[in-house]
Amino acid sequence: MKKRTVGGKWLFTLLILLLLISLMPLFMMFFTSVIPQGDLFHLITERSLLDFESSSIYLRTKMKTIGTRDFELKELPNGDSKALSITIEDPRKEYGVAAFTGDNDMNLVGHLSLYISAPENSQLYLGLKDINDVEEKIPLQRITHDGLEKLRIDFDPQRFETVNIGHISQVQFIIAPPEDALGQELVVDDIQSKLRFPTLSNFITVWKEQDFARYMFNSSLISLIVVLGNLVFCSMVAYAFARKRFRGKEVLFSLVLATMMIPPQVTIIPVFILMKNLGWIDTYMALIFPFLVTPFGIFLMRQYIEQLPSEFDEAAYVDGANDFQIFTRIIMPLSGPAMAVLGINTFITIWNDLFYPLVMTNSKGMRTVQVGLAMYQKLNQTDWPRMMSASTIAGIPVIIIFLIFQKQIISGLVEGGVKG
Amino acid sequence: MTRKARQRWVIFAFLSPWLIIFAIFNAFPIIYSFFTSFTDYSGLNPEMKFVGLGNYIKALQDEVFLKALGNTLIFVVGTIPFTTGIALLLALLLNSKRLKKNGIFKAGFFLPSVISMVVISTIWIYLYSSNGLFNTVGNVLGFQMEARSWLASPKTALLSIMIMDVWAAFGYYLILIYAGLQNVPEQLYEAARIDGATNTQIALKITLPYIRPTLFFVIAINTIRSFQIFSEIYTMTGGGPRNSTQTIVHYLYQVAFRQFDMGYGSAIAYILLIMIMIVTLIQKYLLRSARV
Repeated sequence: MKKRTVGGKWLFTLLILLLLISLMPLFMMFFTSVIPQGDLFHLITERSLLDFESSSIYLRTKMKTIGTRDFELKELPNGDSKALSITIEDPRKEYGVAAFTGDNDMNLVGHLSLYISAPENSQLYLGLKDINDVEEKIPLQRITHDGLEKLRIDFDPQRFETVNIGHISQVQFIIAPPEDALGQELVVDDIQSKLRFPTLSNFITVWKEQDFARYMFNSSLISLIVVLGNLVFCSMVAYAFARKRFRGKEVLFSLVLATMMIPPQVTIIPVFILMKNLGWIDTYMALIFPFLVTPFGIFLMRQYIEQLPSEFDEAAYVDGANDFQIFTRIIMPLSGPAMAVLGINTFITIWNDLFYPLVMTNSKGMRTVQVGLAMYQKLNQTDWPRMMSASTIAGIPVIIIFLIFQKQIISGLVEGGVKG
Repeated sequence: MTRKARQRWVIFAFLSPWLIIFAIFNAFPIIYSFFTSFTDYSGLNPEMKFVGLGNYIKALQDEVFLKALGNTLIFVVGTIPFTTGIALLLALLLNSKRLKKNGIFKAGFFLPSVISMVVISTIWIYLYSSNGLFNTVGNVLGFQMEARSWLASPKTALLSIMIMDVWAAFGYYLILIYAGLQNVPEQLYEAARIDGATNTQIALKITLPYIRPTLFFVIAINTIRSFQIFSEIYTMTGGGPRNSTQTIVHYLYQVAFRQFDMGYGSAIAYILLIMIMIVTLIQKYLLRSARV
């Protein structure tokens, strides 16, 4: 009787632990979707743009100087570090350094830092250049300090208007020296960018640049129309099965049950050929029409309508109501709970499907979010933060619906499962 | 029009949405693909050449198809004990009277099964990646993990997908089994306790017989779903490396919609249909014998 000594509290704790383990993959998805770069175990929140420790030939591939092509690499007083030094030959010109960043998403950057020494009263600018060679610069502070100092520049993407912040190829630090600066020098070292964490910019990028907005629109539209169709049509059919007597009813209903067992993969080839001949490939029609009535829905609604008391419709019938009126005025309003179960389950099924929309669509604009995610994932093998935000986008509607309507979802599952 | 004739029209009108969809998208395709499965047909041009049983014979000699069939079998045998076992164990724990509230657990364990397989696959690609969770944990525990994705090696790819599927599916079966456990009358337990039955005796003599139909159902559904695996294969491996994760439906997709061999594809679809029907019939038979 050892088992009996295990108290409820221990059981509860054990289950909580198991639950946390089982939900861990989802937590990891959410967590990774808000990190700026890298992955869960190699979180990158800091990136060195330039540190001038390498040879000047190599450095010319990573940066260029502004105002002059000549620069020196100079030992700093502390001895172990090299810094960039530019001599100001014409105080009317602007001088500076541009770090090449490839194709960099500056939305991820929280602040920039660098060591700088410039003639007193120089005006410092931050310049950005995007991959389309659009340039823009904004004024920062004036240099008031004499000698090398560390500056921290909070980066606010809102201050830039014309450059494409998501695709920056150069980050520039520029000074406009005062008139008396002839022959003085500009020294720069250790330019770093500190990334925002947590950040929502992965979501924004995926949503705007990777067409997820369109995919979500497609998925929502298709799912909602299919849900509406199921609510109306399945109840209609179920009404006939539940309330009417006619020859062949049992045979027809067992056909309904039989089609529940036929997997969509078995019929996909003829359906594809049919859609092609109708010219419906790559249209909403192909994705909506075949699902407007589902055998599961008919089955579920029939079970429900059958157990509704028939006094109401009999009374209405005696009062001269026709079947259409009985159906819309009595049966449908009474079927709310079953319709909730049907609607939510249909939504989730359609939203989550990959196979069917994958076969029926070929243009990017018609993809559902599942197809879009599968394709995106194949092309961006290791960009984990963005991949996880794309997954979150594709998964979150169903997760939210589940959290609100878990009772209906579970009861739909049990109805369709155990009793079917 | 007589009343009776009008009634007939009304019934027909109410049934018509289903009749239309059934005729176009169920009846017609089943018959049509039965015929195309005996032809050489690309689906792109209307030319159809009758080849008799050619496509079925081709399937039985096609190494990739046999590999896909074998993988499906490994999948069924390898995952079902775990999905069903974990689900049964957790359902028993959740059914325990010591637990005051179990709603949060039911919902929590079930949550992964409502999330789409593409999303789940994407998460697990990440967990299985060379720097992912499994390699990191493995390294911390002192195993020398290979610095590559679990999905990249023919030795581990199928196993990895199976592990993921157990995780993704057990919640679904947990709910089904839990619902089955509710059918066991409470008095039986009390009577057994009064008679001095041990926990093991209660589990074997009372609980198990009552949930046996549910278990048969769970295993049947589980098998049928394993036959139909597609999304995770398409998303994670594309059937590779070296067809080590090829499955029936994924191969069907490749044959019909990548190589446009619709005749052969239809034959594969029919083999799948027959397999599913056999499992269903076995389940129905077992269910009947369990209820008697």
